[in-house]
Amino acid sequence: MTDPQLVARAQEGDLPAFEELVKKYQREIYGLAYRLVLDAEEAKDLTQQAFMQAFVHIKGFRQQAQFRTWLFRIAINQCYNYLKNKKKFGDPVDADNFVLVGKDSPEEDLIAQDERRRLYAALTRLPAKQRAVITLKLEQGLSYEEISRVLGGTAGAARVNYCQAIKTLKKYLKNEDEHEVAVRSYPKMVTRVSRR
Amino acid sequence: MKWRCALTQRWLPAYLDGDPPSFWRERLRSHLARCPACREELAELAEVVRRVKSTAVPEPEPRFWQNFNQELHLKLAQSVPAPPPSRVFKLPYLLGAPALALLLIWVAVGYLNPERSVLAPTPQMAKQERAIQERAAEKMVAKPRVTAPSPETTGVVAFVAQNGEEMSPDDDLTGLRGDLDSTLAGMTEQEKEAFLKRLRQHEKDGSCLRKISVIFWA
Repeated sequence: MTDPQLVARAQEGDLPAFEELVKKYQREIYGLAYRLVLDAEEAKDLTQQAFMQAFVHIKGFRQQAQFRTWLFRIAINQCYNYLKNKKKFGDPVDADNFVLVGKDSPEEDLIAQDERRRLYAALTRLPAKQRAVITLKLEQGLSYEEISRVLGGTAGAARVNYCQAIKTLKKYLKNEDEHEVAVRSYPKMVTRVSRR
Repeated sequence: MKWRCALTQRWLPAYLDGDPPSFWRERLRSHLARCPACREELAELAEVVRRVKSTAVPEPEPRFWQNFNQELHLKLAQSVPAPPPSRVFKLPYLLGAPALALLLIWVAVGYLNPERSVLAPTPQMAKQERAIQERAAEKMVAKPRVTAPSPETTGVVAFVAQNGEEMSPDDDLTGLRGDLDSTLAGMTEQEKEAFLKRLRQHEKDGSCLRKISVIFWA
């Protein structure tokens, strides 16, 4: 069954039809929320809240846009609200708490985990909107036109935002890599000093 | 950095996606062929994109999605709007407004009708009423002489009791209202007419005031 058909049935209050839509998009919404809040449990809660909001307001959805982009918009608004509250009440994200499900050897896992930690540390420093645009473009594969529908503004503004986000991320990743090199070289210096 | 490099590097992330318009794509390609700094910048940006794409969001275990769907199902089932109540239960709400209007009309008619006393008299009012009746009975026994108004004092009815004391017309009218026939019996036609005119005027003023007070109370 196609999205418009499922949406039409959900608009009539058909819960199983809506749950079909949930199963179809839950991974994408979870991935987006995870990238924005960088916390698995919070991402799960925000995903559920986004679907709840979508179900409550689905009668107001006029099918002019795709259901997927509408869902992304709801999820991003939920994440923005969460981040705004977190900024207000503290509780910063700790990049060391990220859980990794390893498939490779322990050594490769460690390298991947290190890589992931540095990337997330850099992503944390980005503004939420730039994080959202990177996720929508690189992971969800949305066009600038679709991104503009999700985040508001024009397609040109979405492209400029994306370019700016990639450049800033590159700068932060460079900082993280340099910091990593400095931290790794520090214990050697300490041992050298202690031997003297 | 040359201005041409700055201009080119603004478009590089979009160039990686193959997104810029054909005009810009050609210009970027020709510039990148000549400029090693911009080529390096492009390579670094490509590396960032690769890192983001390769570091996918960790896939949760299947049990995670099972819990997720169970929790969400419960929440969605709770948020399903209740069916609208049947018309039978709506009927009292619909009847409320007309019933209230009827009640108000009934109360208003009851108050505005001069023949009917809606409110029970308070003990104080009952006492006053009794005193008035007693005074009226005394006057009947004493057979008061009612004098006709003189031409100089037109419109003012003066009542003189047998003991010679002059009373205010309002006091007497209030006292006499209880026993009108016996009062009128001892009057001439002219006196009766003047007295009734005065009485009607007094009644009219009193009822008007009462109407106003009822409206204000409502």
